[in-house]
Amino acid sequence: MFRWMFPAVLALGFAAAPAPAAEPVNKVADQVNEKMVKIFGSGGFKGLVNYSTGILVSEDGHILTVASQALDTAELIVHLYDGRKMKAVVVVTEPVLDIALLKIKVDGKKLDEPTGLNLPFFNYAESLKRPLAEAGDWVLGFSNQFEIATRNEPMSVQQGTVSSYSKLHGRRGIFDFPYTGEVYVIDAITNNPGAGGGALVDRKGQLLGIIGREIKNTQSETWINYAIPLSAKVEVVEKDKPKTVSLPEFVSLAMQGKYKPTEKQIVSITAGGFHGMRFVPNILERTPPYVDELHPNSPAVKAGIQINDLVSFIDGEPIYSIKSFNDYMRKTKPKTTVRLEVRRGDNLVTIDLPLEEWPKGLLPTLPTPKNIDPPK
Amino acid sequence: MTPRFLSRPGVWFAPVSMALALTVGLVAVEPATVQAQGPGLVKVAEAERIATIDKVKPAVAAVCFYNGKVCGSGVVISDDGYCLTNFHVVQPTGAILACGLADGKLYDSVLVGQDKVGDVALVKLLPKKPGDKFPFVKLGDSDICHAGEWSLAMGNPFGLAMDFNPTVTFGLISGVNRYQPPEGKGTLEYTDCIQIDTSINPGNSGGPLFNMKGELIGINGRGSFDKRGRVNSGVGYAISINQIKNFLGHLKAGIDTDHATLGASFSTDAEEGDLSKIFVGSVLDESDAFRRGLKPQDQLIAFAGRSTTSVNQYKNILGIFPKDWRVPLRYRRGTTSKEMLVRLMGNIDTVKEPEPGAVPPMPNPGQPRPVPQPPMPGVEKAKQSEAAKMYVAKKGYANFYFNTLLQDQILAEMKKNFGDFGKLTGDWTLEGNVQLADRGGNLKLTWIDDKTGVTEMKMARDGIEDSVKPLGEKLGQAELSLPQGSGGLLAALWQYRLLMTQLRDGMNPNANINPGFVHAGSEPFYPPPADGKMPADLNDLRVDCDVLKTKKGQFETKWYFHQKDRTLLGCEATYTKDEDPCELFFYDWKAVGDVKLPHKIVCKFADKTFATLTARTYTLVKK
Repeated sequence: MFRWMFPAVLALGFAAAPAPAAEPVNKVADQVNEKMVKIFGSGGFKGLVNYSTGILVSEDGHILTVASQALDTAELIVHLYDGRKMKAVVVVTEPVLDIALLKIKVDGKKLDEPTGLNLPFFNYAESLKRPLAEAGDWVLGFSNQFEIATRNEPMSVQQGTVSSYSKLHGRRGIFDFPYTGEVYVIDAITNNPGAGGGALVDRKGQLLGIIGREIKNTQSETWINYAIPLSAKVEVVEKDKPKTVSLPEFVSLAMQGKYKPTEKQIVSITAGGFHGMRFVPNILERTPPYVDELHPNSPAVKAGIQINDLVSFIDGEPIYSIKSFNDYMRKTKPKTTVRLEVRRGDNLVTIDLPLEEWPKGLLPTLPTPKNIDPPK
Repeated sequence: MTPRFLSRPGVWFAPVSMALALTVGLVAVEPATVQAQGPGLVKVAEAERIATIDKVKPAVAAVCFYNGKVCGSGVVISDDGYCLTNFHVVQPTGAILACGLADGKLYDSVLVGQDKVGDVALVKLLPKKPGDKFPFVKLGDSDICHAGEWSLAMGNPFGLAMDFNPTVTFGLISGVNRYQPPEGKGTLEYTDCIQIDTSINPGNSGGPLFNMKGELIGINGRGSFDKRGRVNSGVGYAISINQIKNFLGHLKAGIDTDHATLGASFSTDAEEGDLSKIFVGSVLDESDAFRRGLKPQDQLIAFAGRSTTSVNQYKNILGIFPKDWRVPLRYRRGTTSKEMLVRLMGNIDTVKEPEPGAVPPMPNPGQPRPVPQPPMPGVEKAKQSEAAKMYVAKKGYANFYFNTLLQDQILAEMKKNFGDFGKLTGDWTLEGNVQLADRGGNLKLTWIDDKTGVTEMKMARDGIEDSVKPLGEKLGQAELSLPQGSGGLLAALWQYRLLMTQLRDGMNPNANINPGFVHAGSEPFYPPPADGKMPADLNDLRVDCDVLKTKKGQFETKWYFHQKDRTLLGCEATYTKDEDPCELFFYDWKAVGDVKLPHKIVCKFADKTFATLTARTYTLVKK
C-alpha cells in the first residue's frame, strides 16, 4: 500500500518535478555497473571479437557470461568497475545453455579458495524469486558492446521493452545457435559485438537475464536481440537419456565447482539422406527449389516427385531457397523420412519421402558456403 | 502504456486503500489530482516531453545544399542565426548553403567556422528581412550529464521531412566521456563524447541532442555500425556541447580550427590489480611541455583539472581543446607533485586536408553519413546570393569575412575603452618605478621614432640602460630578448605602442597570405593576481579572453581581451618559436589625457616574474 501512497504525495506536492515515469535511471546505472566486468580474451578475426561482458554473481568474483569464442584463451583479463585489471579463468561451460562461469584468479590463491575480493554482485538466488518479466515491461541492457569502455569507464546502458518471452529455436536451421530454450526478445538493439554476457535488468536494476550473442534469422536475414532468462531450462538427450539442464542449477553447482556439463552430441555434417532431386541452377541469392531433374530410381521418383515441382515445405518448415533446402537436408539421415509439400500447378501436394544412402560414385562434396549443390 | 502495477493480480486493492488513506490523515485532495495516478503519471510525462519538443523544434535546422536538397541537420544557437552542425555535413554543401527550419522556410546560409578534427561547423542563417530574429536554443552543460538520463535527438534522418519538420527520437544517454578514434584521415575524432541509444541515422548528422529540459547538450554525428549496416544499431555518438563551447570563439572568428596536442606521448602501465597509471614516454623538444619541464617517466595525475585514469581519458581531455590553449597539468616525479600551465600545440600536420567540393565524405563504419548527393544543379545560383557576399576564402580560415567582422568589433571596442591614440604618434615616455627579482629603483622608458620612422625602445634604470630598434636589421637573440632575462620586454612594449597608435594598418600588410592583424578566437588567460599571491589551484586564475594576433617583422604577439568587460589583460610576445614568449600583464588603467594606459605592468618569462613596472607619469607627444 505504501508504494501507492508515494505517487499520491508526489502528485500533490511536487507538480513541478518530472513525473516518475520519466525519471532518469542514473542511480540504477551506477549500481548495476558496479556488478559487471569487461572481459578481454582471444580472437579478433573473421567477425569474432575478442571481448565480451560478464555479470558478477558472487563477492568472490564468480562471473556469468555467454560461452563466446573470446573465452577460448589461457589469458582472460577482466576489468572491474573501478578500473582494476584482473586475471580470470573459465570454471565450466554449459554448451546447451550457451553460458560459462568464470572466476577471478588472484595470485597466491588457488581457484577453489576464496579470493577475499568482496565485490558487489547480483544475488542469483534472490533474483530468481522474482516473477518473469512480461511483454511490455521496461528493461535496461548493460554491456561493453563495441568495446567502448575500458578500465573504469562504465558499461553502455540502453533502454527498451520486452517484446516477448518465447522460444527462438522453433525451427531448425533458422537460428544457428545452441540454446533451444526460452528467451526474452527485446526491442532495444542490445546484441552487438561484445555485448554477450551483459545484464538485462528491470528499471530498478534487478537482474532478469543475460544478454546473448548476435544472431541472425537465416531465412529473413534479420537480426534479433534477446537475453537468456535467469530461469532458463532445456530438455536434452545425453547418451540416449533425457535430461533437464537448468541455468539456476548450473550457477549454483558451478560456483561450488560441482557442475558437469552436458556432453556434446556429435552432429556429423554430411550430405544427409539421398533424395535424388536436382534443382534449377542456383544463380540467384535465393533461387527457389524447382525440381529440374530426377535421378533414375531415386527416392524422389519412387515417392512421386515430378519435374517442375517447387519444394515449399519440409517437415512443416517453409523453404524459400535451394540453399535452405540443402542446409536442412544436411542434417537428415538415410533411412529416415521427411515430409515434403510441393507446389504443383495450383496445388500443394504432400509427399512423404523416405531417404536412402547416397549411391556410390554419387557422393557430393562436403558443403562449403559457395558449394552447396551436389555436383552432376 | 499502463504501469506494471496496475495489471498485477493482488494489487487491485490498492486504489481503494489509497482513497481510504487519503481521507484519513493526509491533506484533502481534489478529485482531479487523484486522477493523476497510474496512467495519469505517464500522461504527465508525455505532456512534458511534448512541451519540450515544441519549445525547441523551431530552432532545429535541416542543413541543405543551396537548392534545398537536404544534407544533414543543425541547430540555431542565437537569435542572429548562428547555427551548429557537423563539419562532414558542410563539406559536401560548400560554404554557401541553405538551412530549412520547421516553419517550412529555406534560409540562405553561409559557413562561418569549422573544426575538421572535432567534426563541428558553425554556419549563419540570413534572415528574410534584415533585423528578423531566429528562434534558438539554450546551451546546456554536458559535464553534468550522466548515463541513464533521457535525451531527445532531432533532425532529418534519411531526409524524410520534405517540409523541414524535424524527426524526433527519444532514448537514454548510454555513456559519457566516451572516446571514438578518428576515421581514416585523422578527422572526425570524437573525444569526450556522449554515447546514446536515442536513434540517430544518416541525415541526423549535425543535429541537436537535448536533455529533457530542452537544453542543447550535444551535436549528433557518429554511430557504431557493424553487421546491421549503416543504420542505427543502438549506439550513437554526439559531440559534447562543452567541447563545442571551447571552440565557439574560434568558430565565430571564421577560423579553420586545429585541435591541440601536448607534444608528449603517454603509456599506461600494464600492471594488474592497480588502477592504471599514465607515464610520459617522450616529450618533443619544441613543445611547451618540454620547456615547462615535463620529462619522460613523469606520472600524469591531472590534466585541465580532470584526473587521468586511462590513456582514453587523457585523449578525451586533450581532444576538447583548440591548439594554443593553455591548461593546467599536474604531474608526479618521485615523491613530489607539481602543477604547470602548459601551452598546447597544433595537430594539423597529421591531418590530411579532406577534399572540398560536392563529393560526400568517404564511407566509413563510424558515422551516419549525410544523405549522399551528386553535384547539385542550381548551385551556380549560390554565387549570386546574399550569403556569397559574406564569404571570403583564405588559407587557414573557413570564412575570413567573419574574422574581419570581429577584428572591426575589437577595434571599435578598443577605441571606446582606451580612446583614440591616432594622433599620439610622437615620442612616448614612461617614468616610474621598476621592481626586479633582486633589486628595484627608478625607471624611465622611452619610445622614440627616428627620421625614417623606425622606433627605438629604451629602458633606463639605476644607471643601466638597454635599448633596441626592434625593426632594425640583423638583430640576434641577444637584442631581441632585451633586457636580458625578460624574453623581450622592450620589443613587447614597442608593439603595444604600435598596436594602439596604428591599429590594423601598423601590422604586416600581407593581407592575402599572412595577414598581420587577425582575430584568433578565444583562449583562457591566467593573469597573476594583483597582490602577486599565486593560488593553490592554477585554474582559479583563468579568465576567458578574445585574442587578437598581430605580426610585425619577426614578431608575433597575442593580445588578450577579457571576454566580458573587454579590457586588455595582457599579451604574449614572441620573436621565435624556440623560446617562451615574453608575457605582459596590464593593471591599474588610468586616464592620461583622452586615453587610458596601464599604470602597472608585470613582465614574466619562463615561469618567473622578471619585473613589475609601475608608472607615475606617461608623457605622450602628439604629432
